Amino acid sequence: MIAQLILNGLVTGAIVALPALALTLTFAILKFPNFAIGAMLTMGAYCGWMLNALFGLSLPAATALAAGAMAIVAVAVDKLVFTHLRDREGLTLLVASMGVAFVLENVCRFAFGNDARNLDIAVARPIRWHGLRVNHEQVITGGAVVACLLVLFVIVRFTPLGRAMRAVADNPSLAAARGIERNVVVAVAWCLVGILCALAGTLIALDRAIDPLMGWNYQINVFAAAILGGLGSLFGAVIGALVIGVVEELSTLVIPTNYRQAIAFAMIVILLLLRPQGLFGKVAIRK
Amino acid sequence: MSTVPALSVKGLRSGYGRGGDIVCGIDLEQRPETILAVVGPNGSGKSTFVKTLAGLVPVRAGSIEVTGSNVTALSPAQRTAAGIAYVPQEGNVFRSMTVGENLKLATEFVRARAGAGLAQQSLILELFPEIANRRRLLAGNLSGGQRQMLAFACALLSNPEVLLLDEPSAGLSPKFVVEIMQTVLTTRKAGVTIVLVEQNVSAALAIADEVAVLVAGTVARHCPVAALADGELERLFLGRAA
Repeated sequence: MIAQLILNGLVTGAIVALPALALTLTFAILKFPNFAIGAMLTMGAYCGWMLNALFGLSLPAATALAAGAMAIVAVAVDKLVFTHLRDREGLTLLVASMGVAFVLENVCRFAFGNDARNLDIAVARPIRWHGLRVNHEQVITGGAVVACLLVLFVIVRFTPLGRAMRAVADNPSLAAARGIERNVVVAVAWCLVGILCALAGTLIALDRAIDPLMGWNYQINVFAAAILGGLGSLFGAVIGALVIGVVEELSTLVIPTNYRQAIAFAMIVILLLLRPQGLFGKVAIRK
Repeated sequence: MSTVPALSVKGLRSGYGRGGDIVCGIDLEQRPETILAVVGPNGSGKSTFVKTLAGLVPVRAGSIEVTGSNVTALSPAQRTAAGIAYVPQEGNVFRSMTVGENLKLATEFVRARAGAGLAQQSLILELFPEIANRRRLLAGNLSGGQRQMLAFACALLSNPEVLLLDEPSAGLSPKFVVEIMQTVLTTRKAGVTIVLVEQNVSAALAIADEVAVLVAGTVARHCPVAALADGELERLFLGRAA
């Protein structure tokens, strides 16, 4: 029973890890908490659904195209909204991102209505493994998230682009003086945000119906994961998401399932009281 | 030596946001392969002046030329590619990255200038033994002097025409100040033109060829160091007539 809950929690956490990484990326490079992450995730899910259920593409093809489409949407949002607010205070950008969230959410509502939508995928029997019940969706989700995390890790850690992103996150004016064009790095970061949100949205849609408010159901968990890991730490965001997923699932042993989202709230409160910098965040000490 | 000035600034005005001008009409020319010490009282606009040259503070009026090419409209990144290297007073390294990554980033995005890659790197690192064997260390864990050395090395790796140094001796021990000033001299001898903003006036004048005294955002005096009269600097700093 507990092993099953831990497995379910890890898969749920793995899905949350993707938008948590997107949130962390925007926070590290643009210095604001992006409240539009949930809405981008919703739009990504609708893109995947449209390509899969309406146009008949296979799930991998639909997901890849949805990721491309959301990368374009994310860059367009930056050009239309955030470029004009660059270097404003984080609070201004946060409020702007709330506006973006409402616009994206209502674009989905206007285009596809309020009805719940489902991906066109075959239903398969779960796999039995050492007493655990593993859904095909869970296998796909786990594999896709691990592959995505590996690719992102290699990009950020070992490529010139990744070094440029870390440099801009660390010290934007010095990065400019080192010949790094901030606008290019910002555009690439928004592309990654769009791709991560589209992938997360489609993976969530494997397990549940798509509706215009689905992103809001994950918003708190995404923020909790990023804060738990230490805002700005990519590795921390992944660990934070996995911890939130597992703790939420285990909490159903002692509290009714309906209240399990309160766990994410509780974890944010406890963490901010005991370790405000998060598990992997650093306390700023200037020598 | 070329007759084209390495750095030519005409009617330069700049400032932050919607505030007033901090740099209020600076005109000066600097010969190639010289050290220009920019000194002045606190708040005279020295740091804003070099940040404007580096492209980090927007130009409101005037022009900046590097070896005859107008760079006024270029972004900071493009100015680096055009031959300007800038070492800020604070935040001069990427603290969350290793020394090796800092060195790599110094050339990665200005390859056209950076020359012989690793060969150039090993040559420059000979100047900085303090950091040469600390490549795996996080730059944020270096001492202030070592960070300054790393910042200096990174700037040199971009093979600049003009090197802008903003108070390189600030907060350093006397030992490091001597080392830094020695390195500035060595760099000049290697053919780099240097703009040296300094609060430590005696250390700066000891190695500079020319001095520009900034007062309230304008050049109150620009002359060879040897041409400064006794007590002239004090009078300019305190705003007294000669």
